[in-house]
Amino acid sequence: MTRTKPLGTIASDASGPALAGHLLAPAAGARRRGFTLVAVALFTAGCEGRQSALAPAGADAEALHLLFTSMLAGAAVLWLGMNGLFYWFSRRSPAAFPEHHARRLILFGGVFAPTLIVGGVLVWGLSLLPDQRAPGEGLRISVTGEQWWWRVEYLPEGDAGPVISANEIRLPAGERTEFLLTADRFIHSFWIPALGGKMDMFPGRETRMSLKPETPGTYRGQCAEFCGASHAWMAFEAVVMPPEDFAAWLEAEAQDARAPQSESARRGLEIFRREGCGACHSIRGTEAVGQVGPDLTHVGARHSIGAGRLGASLDDIALWVAHTGELKPEVQMPAFPHLEPAELQDLARYLKELE
Amino acid sequence: MTEQEYQPHAEEERREFAAESESLWRLTLAPVTWALHLVLCYATVSLACARQLFPVDTARIWLIGATVLALALIGWQGWRALQQWNVRNTGALSHPEGKAEDRHQFLGHATFLIALISAIGTVFTSLPLLLLEGCR
Repeated sequence: MTRTKPLGTIASDASGPALAGHLLAPAAGARRRGFTLVAVALFTAGCEGRQSALAPAGADAEALHLLFTSMLAGAAVLWLGMNGLFYWFSRRSPAAFPEHHARRLILFGGVFAPTLIVGGVLVWGLSLLPDQRAPGEGLRISVTGEQWWWRVEYLPEGDAGPVISANEIRLPAGERTEFLLTADRFIHSFWIPALGGKMDMFPGRETRMSLKPETPGTYRGQCAEFCGASHAWMAFEAVVMPPEDFAAWLEAEAQDARAPQSESARRGLEIFRREGCGACHSIRGTEAVGQVGPDLTHVGARHSIGAGRLGASLDDIALWVAHTGELKPEVQMPAFPHLEPAELQDLARYLKELE
Repeated sequence: MTEQEYQPHAEEERREFAAESESLWRLTLAPVTWALHLVLCYATVSLACARQLFPVDTARIWLIGATVLALALIGWQGWRALQQWNVRNTGALSHPEGKAEDRHQFLGHATFLIALISAIGTVFTSLPLLLLEGCR
């Protein structure tokens, strides 16, 4: 830093107080505008992001967003109107109000207006429901809420069997995809705020909803019903892709896992076998066929590890395997702290290569 | 007005109040209709959608019929209450004196307002019947 004097001081040194005043006045105005901008930015920053119902990226979220903003605007008008009336009659014009006027005000403001407003909002809200539950245009995705992760099965149109995946949901943009939702032992709720409303998942029952995402991108989904110790860590990435990309991805996802490529990954596979990971996890094309935990056939292509708990780097995977329970309290998967750092890296390399 | 003479006679007052008990019952008729309509709607739709005991389309038609019936019943109660209130002739919106006649009119007034809110509630309950088809 070489410039130590603030701008205002330089101006006043150079040209005297008169010029300083002249220069400072617009500077103060700009500063005030700056504060306003920062305040607005801070205030609205919370509306953005990839897990925000206020930054819609799909038809269903758009519809809900419009309903929300309209109700917010209506509430603001009502609040200002009521306080305006209160101010007017208590401060500005506190004279007695004729009784028949008061009666009319109560009848219209207290009976007719609320009935019409609530009725209108009810009709609007109900008219949104059929779309949000409409059947999909082909692809259906079955999602099961587990403790605390998501079992995902893609059910393409036709005879093709389900494509098993976990903890990440990919969707074709511009198409309506139907979700068949259920849960293993506890009630969960499936919610991708940027794409639409939420729907509860119940053990032994199937609930349905559908989403029509529009803007390709990576959004975040989150369990929206308290389901135990790691409820807050039960998230997932929702990746909206152009339809042709999605079709290619689904075809790749249906394939068996590819064999380890690097030497490190081959060592990782041996560690995977030695530690008995396959008792709980499936990797299609190998002897690992466990059903307790998430399918890992293409885990290397996912954007997160531990159901949205960590990123998907080699270090993240190693960290997850060594400190599972600390990262996700009460999770069923045991931690493997006895593995050497080099072994953890090899195992991570193997999993990362499962693209 | 002869009410002044009746005023001290507690027995007379008591008898008049007993006569009024019928309109106390009428007071509850509209909200009870609303409540029964709500229970009927919820039970029928869930039996059709969750248990598939009968087709939901049929249930919908019957429930719309039940709604018309419920609204007619509530409307009839509201109309009778309006007569009892007799606001057009007396112009009395409040009944501060508490005489027998006042009580009579006040019960009509209250019944009318309760019928009004029951009608609004019944309409709101049945909006999904009109706007949503099927179980989705």
